[in-house]
Amino acid sequence: MPDDHTRPSFASAVCYQDPKAALKWLEAAFAFEPFMVITMPNGDLAHSEMRFGDGVVMVGSEWNESTKSPASIGGKTTQTVHVHLTEDIDAHCDRARKAGAVIEMEPADQFYGDRSYRARDPEGHIWTFSQTVKAMTREEWDKAGGTVTTDRL
Amino acid sequence: MTPQPSITGVESVVFYRDPMAALRWLERAFGFETNLLVTDDQGQVAHATMAAGPTTLGVGGEWASPELLGPAALVSPASLEGRGTQFVRIRLADGIDAHCERARAAGARIVQEPEDQFYGDRTYRVLDPEGHVWNFNQPLADVSTGEMEQRSGLTIRTSL
Repeated sequence: MPDDHTRPSFASAVCYQDPKAALKWLEAAFAFEPFMVITMPNGDLAHSEMRFGDGVVMVGSEWNESTKSPASIGGKTTQTVHVHLTEDIDAHCDRARKAGAVIEMEPADQFYGDRSYRARDPEGHIWTFSQTVKAMTREEWDKAGGTVTTDRL
Repeated sequence: MTPQPSITGVESVVFYRDPMAALRWLERAFGFETNLLVTDDQGQVAHATMAAGPTTLGVGGEWASPELLGPAALVSPASLEGRGTQFVRIRLADGIDAHCERARAAGARIVQEPEDQFYGDRTYRVLDPEGHVWNFNQPLADVSTGEMEQRSGLTIRTSL
């Protein structure tokens, strides 16, 4: 498969009541970078994509009856996005907090060797950021967490 | 604050009422492969990931926790009359029509049949049994930004 930056192999689409405000906020809070903004003749956003490293997030509107912002359905959300950082997760969290993110879980070391924090954006989407601070084997994290890890169902 | 140089820099986690059934269905319908399954002492899915080509996805059960999530709740579209707040787009290298037929045979509801788009991709859209929306695309041709604008009447920029 050719390396094609404009059409990544995977993208998460995240729906907002006000996607233009979300584009600005996600840049300020999480350092995501806009790279494609498509508008309709009336100026409304048709489609947009933001990059973070080689990850892509699409920011869109509530474009039909079944596509809703958490702000429209009592804070419920059907998917979340996990973002992997290689360094400075605490600084990333501080930046998000300053931009108005609600930090639901402060940065903390997890039993599986990551340091993670969880933030809620202004419309209620949940974002989890993590940085690997200690490489662990499956045996090690199963022992630490009381879980059973396999690679097949 | 350098993002991890990896295709899994951003990953979606998709929530289901019955995550074990979802893992099986996603394997059968879309050809994803479970590559990490963490279960608790009740045998319930604590955390699972699937490989979809070079992509990794998380699959989880519904949960809420005032301590860890505040007022949010992570739920299946099946618990929200089919509504969803996020969805996933996955690129296929080839075989998108066969992929769609495989999904249909597994009971997927195809909400948009495979069709060529103005931006050079062939795409289809599908609902899984709990109502999550999945978009699959296969690039067919490179289309310049100017040509996309001409074909669609849209305006395309790199920022707001």
